[in-house]
Amino acid sequence: MRKEVIGPSQLFAMIVLFELGTALVVPIGLKSGHAVWLSILMALPGGVLLYLIYYDLYRQFPELIMSGYTQKILGKAIGWPLSLLYIPVLMFNGSRNLREAGDLLISSTYDRTPILVINAIMVIAVMYILNKGIEVFARTAEIYFWIIMIMGLVCNFIVIAAGLVDVKHLFPLQADDWWDALSSAYPSIWIFPFGELVCMTTVLPHFNKPRKAKRAGVMAVILSGLLLTFTHAIEISVLGENIYSRAAFPIYTTITLVNVANFIQRLDALVILTLIIGVFFKMSIYCYAATVITADLFKVQDYRKLVVPVGVIVLFSSFMSAENYTSHLNEGRAFLKYILPLLCAVIPILLFLVHHVRKRFGWYR
Amino acid sequence: MMATRTTKPKKSQTEDSNNQSSPLTENLDDNLQHIREGLGNSLDLIIRYFQTIDDAPRIAAVYMDGLTDKEIVNEFISHAMSFQTVNEEGQKLTTSLDIYKYMKEKALNPGKGKSVTTISELFEALLSGNTLILIEDMAEAICGNTSGGEVRPVSEASTQVSIRGSKESFTETIGVNISLVRRKIKNPNLWVEPMTLGAVTQTSMAIMYIHGIVNEDNLQNLREKLQEIRVDSILESGYIEQLIEEGGYSPFPTLYNTERPDSVAGNLLDGRIAIFVDGTPFVLIAPTTFFMFFHTVEDYYQRFDISTLIRLLRFLCLLISMFGPAIFVAALNFHQEMIPTPLLINLASQREGVPFPAFVEALMMEVTFEIIREAGIRLPSTIGQTVSIIGGLVLGQAAVQAGIVSPAMVIVVSLTGISSFTTPAFNMALSVRLLRFVIVFVAAFMGLYGIAILALILIAHLCSLRSLGVPYMSPIAPFALKAQKDTLIRSPIHFMKIRPRLNNDNSNVRKKVVKGKRVNTNES
Repeated sequence: MRKEVIGPSQLFAMIVLFELGTALVVPIGLKSGHAVWLSILMALPGGVLLYLIYYDLYRQFPELIMSGYTQKILGKAIGWPLSLLYIPVLMFNGSRNLREAGDLLISSTYDRTPILVINAIMVIAVMYILNKGIEVFARTAEIYFWIIMIMGLVCNFIVIAAGLVDVKHLFPLQADDWWDALSSAYPSIWIFPFGELVCMTTVLPHFNKPRKAKRAGVMAVILSGLLLTFTHAIEISVLGENIYSRAAFPIYTTITLVNVANFIQRLDALVILTLIIGVFFKMSIYCYAATVITADLFKVQDYRKLVVPVGVIVLFSSFMSAENYTSHLNEGRAFLKYILPLLCAVIPILLFLVHHVRKRFGWYR
Repeated sequence: MMATRTTKPKKSQTEDSNNQSSPLTENLDDNLQHIREGLGNSLDLIIRYFQTIDDAPRIAAVYMDGLTDKEIVNEFISHAMSFQTVNEEGQKLTTSLDIYKYMKEKALNPGKGKSVTTISELFEALLSGNTLILIEDMAEAICGNTSGGEVRPVSEASTQVSIRGSKESFTETIGVNISLVRRKIKNPNLWVEPMTLGAVTQTSMAIMYIHGIVNEDNLQNLREKLQEIRVDSILESGYIEQLIEEGGYSPFPTLYNTERPDSVAGNLLDGRIAIFVDGTPFVLIAPTTFFMFFHTVEDYYQRFDISTLIRLLRFLCLLISMFGPAIFVAALNFHQEMIPTPLLINLASQREGVPFPAFVEALMMEVTFEIIREAGIRLPSTIGQTVSIIGGLVLGQAAVQAGIVSPAMVIVVSLTGISSFTTPAFNMALSVRLLRFVIVFVAAFMGLYGIAILALILIAHLCSLRSLGVPYMSPIAPFALKAQKDTLIRSPIHFMKIRPRLNNDNSNVRKKVVKGKRVNTNES
């Protein structure tokens, strides 16, 4: 079979869509209050640094996905179980994204449709695209990148044109605010959404121009960081700190306020569409990562065979893991605090250090 | 030989052009061999040999079939050969030089017989419909204008009509069709490979491309695919289309067909390959991308700003014809809050007397519309109009008055129908027609969410298609910035210095762009 390849612009589009995915819609970094936009900016350099670590590991082992080089670096005895740890976490994270999309859809329009149906439809789409392969997925991402950008431009323009923005909500920034911003930037925003890029380590081996992976990836992380900053700043300036932190989906609340000349109103369809697209791509990458790591660890030749089982697990855990949205959020906080930092930051950094130490002292056989 | 061309296309081009500007040799067989090779053993090259008297030098007449009038050719040849019968000094002419002089000065009217000394001149004369006479041991050829040919009355294009641009369209004869394109591209690098397919029908076919511009990988890929075909009959190019398509279960066509010679010429100059099938005016073009179906040749004849606007309009119409009724049904069923209140009240009052849900209403109207359209196509054009008037006006009006459908639904469905006619390629319009029903169904079931997910699946499917190895959605996905000049928009012609990139093509620079007029030949 022909090797599937991804070009720089496709990697760029995938990373941006992955980063914006849910982070655009749900409130992030709650501790910092009205300075959340500042915390995103503060977390951005950390995110870039994290990407560079993934990139460096990829350049050291250009043919291998994460689970492959973990076993090379730490040895099979430690590396294999450590890689195994990623599978449930990635699937769980994918299912959480799915849950968020399903809940927004139910709370906005589909109040009489069971969440199983809504999530199942999304999972079917994910399974379809993963069956087509990562190359097709990357090209689709490229098209949707432009769609998301145009929709974002239209939404932001209309929110500003409607005169809803009040810059007073963003300032003043006092010393406390800076401190709060920093404490919510690290590790919370640093991990979600930037640390989640750990999934990209499974996509990178398909990249066709290894030298350009650095530039494309870093640019994508920076662009998505800036877009997130801008969007969340707009949300706060429209809603104010109080409503922003209480709303389940602040961007949705923001957009429902728009009313231009009694004609342009109810743009929430655009927001829901953004969320559907974002969650679709984010979840697909999670599922893809989980699938290929499983295939790699258990020596399955064709990862496509595992797409359906992984999709079904993600589907069911999406609505069985939490009874309601509040408990879903609580789970998320714990998950973000204790589990994700380990897998997204600690292990990659550890791998990076161990690899370079072993390489420096020639401890590889 | 193939291998050297694929690895070093540029070098072999220069070699070719060196050969072509070289003078004719004194060896007749060498000259003829040059001509054959230069035209890539094309089907329509005719060489006739004459050995007059025992020890006289051999003579050959060369002309292109289809570009020449057979009667004029015969007359020309018989005049030239008159040295055998008419002989002023009572002696037979036996040396090449004598024959040559006689032919040139006596047998042919002055001015009718010109002499040609180089291969490139020879090709130029040959491809303009001249007949050439070559004599052994002479490094000069005599050339006479015999252009004409059996061209069946070429009628106006019936499916791809244009306001501006050539009115001719292909006919059923493959020779005529090939010559129609050759008339537009007078270049020896326009090569035609003959082929015969169909065990019973033995249909003659030809693939045409411009050597040096075409991508050799694509060409080889196409050749292999055509050679793999094992069928009894090829009655239309549609057979070939279905047999060589990749991903045969897709609703989307992955080969473009046209009946316009200018469209074929334009595509050949872009590095694509044309497949001619005897017995049909529809010529296939490969590789095809999705966006080709929304381009017309006329886009390049009109001014760029107007063409751009019209192109964008076509893409808007594509969206309307695909999603129009679906979004309307979704909004009425699931998302009433999206519609501004006064309009919603208006729509609700219209639907007050309608006994059906919006989905059934839309389905009824769509099916009726398809029936009217299908009936209109099959009937003679005079009756066809009657059908559309009865169907369109009477049925639509009566259905509203009878309270079966709401006026708003009639508007939506007819707008959708009209939008679908703006797609220049009929086969693409058919695919969209088919998909529209699926999308309406999904919209009735899941509203806008269903539409969004289906659109995701559709785009993923489009991205997975390939035509001769070229991604179907290129140049949007994979994205190529340079090709955006001629995809959704049409920029001024002097901006388009680069040919569209089909795979990794080395020769993608259009050779000369002079004052907005593109000169696409490799030679010239």
